[in-house]
Amino acid sequence: MSRRALATLLVAGALALLTSLLAALIAVPADAAPAGVDQCYTCHHDGDTPQALAYTKDVHYQAGVTCADCHGGDPTREDKDEAMSPARGYRGKLRKSDIPAVCGRCHGAGPSEFHAKFGLTDVADSLAAGAHGEALRESEQGPQCVSCHGVHDIAHVEDPISPVSPGRIAKTCAGCHADARYMRDFNPRLPVDQYAKYLTSVHGRLNAQGDPRPATCVSCHSNHLIYPVKDPRSPVYATRVPETCAKCHSNPRTMAGYHIPTNQYELYRKSPHGVALLQHSDLNAPACNSCHGNHGAAPPGAAEVVAVCANCHQANGELFQRSAHRDAFAKRNLAGCVVCHGNHGIAPPSDDLVGLAAPAPCARCHVDGPSDPNAGVIRHMRALLDSLRTGQVNADRMLDRASQLGMDVADAQYDLKDVHQALVQSRVAIHSFKLNELADAIHPGIGVLATARKSAEDAIHDYYFRRQGLAVSTLIVTIVAVLLYLKIREIERRQRERDEC
Amino acid sequence: MAGTPLARVMGWLRERLPIDALEEFASHKTVPKYRGSIWYYFGGVSLFLFIVQVTTGILLILYYQPGVQTAYESVRFTVVHVRFGWLVRSIHTWSANLMIFSVFVHMFSVYFTKAFRRPRELTWLSGFVLLLLCLGFGFSGYLLPWNTLAYFATKVGTAITATAPLVGPWLMQLLRGGKDVGAETLTRFFGLHVALMPAIFTAILGIHLLLIQIQGMHEPHGWKDAPPAERRTMPFFPNFILRDLLLWLIVLNVLAILAVMFPWEIGHKADPNAPAPLGIKPEWYFLFMYQALKYFPGKILGLDGDAVGVLLFGLGGLLWALVPFWDPRLPSGARNRALNWIGIVVVAAILVLTGIGLS
Repeated sequence: MSRRALATLLVAGALALLTSLLAALIAVPADAAPAGVDQCYTCHHDGDTPQALAYTKDVHYQAGVTCADCHGGDPTREDKDEAMSPARGYRGKLRKSDIPAVCGRCHGAGPSEFHAKFGLTDVADSLAAGAHGEALRESEQGPQCVSCHGVHDIAHVEDPISPVSPGRIAKTCAGCHADARYMRDFNPRLPVDQYAKYLTSVHGRLNAQGDPRPATCVSCHSNHLIYPVKDPRSPVYATRVPETCAKCHSNPRTMAGYHIPTNQYELYRKSPHGVALLQHSDLNAPACNSCHGNHGAAPPGAAEVVAVCANCHQANGELFQRSAHRDAFAKRNLAGCVVCHGNHGIAPPSDDLVGLAAPAPCARCHVDGPSDPNAGVIRHMRALLDSLRTGQVNADRMLDRASQLGMDVADAQYDLKDVHQALVQSRVAIHSFKLNELADAIHPGIGVLATARKSAEDAIHDYYFRRQGLAVSTLIVTIVAVLLYLKIREIERRQRERDEC
Repeated sequence: MAGTPLARVMGWLRERLPIDALEEFASHKTVPKYRGSIWYYFGGVSLFLFIVQVTTGILLILYYQPGVQTAYESVRFTVVHVRFGWLVRSIHTWSANLMIFSVFVHMFSVYFTKAFRRPRELTWLSGFVLLLLCLGFGFSGYLLPWNTLAYFATKVGTAITATAPLVGPWLMQLLRGGKDVGAETLTRFFGLHVALMPAIFTAILGIHLLLIQIQGMHEPHGWKDAPPAERRTMPFFPNFILRDLLLWLIVLNVLAILAVMFPWEIGHKADPNAPAPLGIKPEWYFLFMYQALKYFPGKILGLDGDAVGVLLFGLGGLLWALVPFWDPRLPSGARNRALNWIGIVVVAAILVLTGIGLS
């Protein structure tokens, strides 16, 4: 072999070796799946595992989320052991407490491809910050993402098959919240009848009819960031309830077709109830749910209004129930308290509500004239109330004058508080619509007024008496002083005369 | 006359008491009559106001109930519900203030007329003690209604005593009866005001009056050397006594007008847990000391400024009380312009500091 032929042979051999080596380096292994194939899904689907079959309809599958995105492992390996190797990140069935973090990789605060593509919000952190997150930290059995949304068959929230769709969310919540045994592990004091009540509510009934607009659990409590009711951050905290209800009930578009007004919140806000709750943060003041109920929300009927108001205004309610007006109103289907006081826009109570001239509500049924036998009673009642009120003003003015004169009338001024008490009681007693009961409530106040007026008169009289007494005593002392002065002069004159002699 | 009931009573008394000797003494007692005679009357006015204080004080005790739960209420009851109770209390309070004013005028008149000189050193000293007792009466009586102003003024006043060197804290504890002004302080002040101090005051007042009667009225400088025609006098009885009585009547009228037209307020009941009202200050007769202490720096030569102030006031008071013994012109009995200037500076300081304090 010539040296040229040998060189050619060597080069060819080297090239063959190099080619073999390169081929070996870039060759696909025999057990590798073709590029773009999710081997997990393929195998499990071919094996008819329920999870894979369900996942076919899952919004995540349609969005390109693979099994491995949640469960880990290598979806490119055909070999089961390799694909599901812990060394390749496989973690199998997720622990419940880990689920929010896994979902949060896309649905959390951090940037992700899905965030940008689907405009996702930070629901994972919201869940963790709320009562459900707290429950999950307490117990592995606590609520997490899949408790509400499902596992491998997650549908869009607005898809009717989703357990969190408007038509199904209440039942989904009830899955835990109506389970007394389950709830006992987290909050034994929490009622478990919300769902049962909800089904009876107007909201629940409309929802059951397939109307997606009525409020469901999440409309009021929020969805992922749910706080306990007593937490001021909760939308159903007492002072926030009116605003939460108003989100729908003040929105004409939302309320279109229901034939109810949308000005309740505006009226309520200015009423004594609204002012007490919203401006003075008086948690005893009623919010919407105090009268309408919360989960079983429904407008009280005409016959129920008195019972509702009497929850707080107990004495007024009792007096009304045994008054002649109860039956009279019932016959005309008039809604008890609301007839005189209104409902959402309740006016501050005033004695002007009693009278025979408009706008006094009595005038709507009673006539000022001999044809109405009760007209005289109404006039008398008003006169009694006026006498106490004006008497209080006058007595207060007189005592103030005495005080301005420097007289001590503090005791009488203190006693005058009893008149205020009598006035309050008489304004309660008026709900009996009986003259004698009103008079009984007013008379103690009239007695105190008489005493206070006398104290003021005595004090004012005493003031002038003191000055008159001062004038008299000063005059007497001055006369005595003058006489004494004259006596001194006389004595000294005599002494001088005697000395001169 | 001999047969009248009065004559019979006098006759009965003459057999048992040295009335004749007293009449004899009074008939020879004279009072110098000169430009400064007016100052003689302030001692009498002070005495009259003391009598008013004793009388009205006894009436007030009939209803007063010491105790933090009862003091204010009982005073209020006296003023509002007891017939003329308001008048008695108002007179008692106004009379107390007028008495202290009158005692101050009396003291300065004695000082400027040099009436403290021999042989009246003891009269001066007893008078000075009476002045201190008057201030003590004012301080202790001010707290008794247990109202807000009184409570906090007493707190401030007793706290100032604590700054006195060495004995300060002990003195404050003694006055308060505890660490703070409270029920113990009230009962302690009540005891001082109605029992201990009146007893001491009456005894010293007796000595003071006895000394005046023994030594006679002070005669102005150069009186003895003046010709007899220029040494005008008036009989102590009845002339001076009647003039005294006339002034007492005028003071009584002033007192009545003040008590009726400007009744002393009760204020609000003291609440030890409440913050001290703004601008709390002691009564006007302590104001010059209180105001002066404000001008002392926090530290003077390493010592507490207030303590130095209290010490200086103490020394000043002592020097003032001992003036009969260090007056440089004492032996000659001559005029002493330096002493007059010291007195003028002291009066001016008191007036200015009180004025600043009141404003």
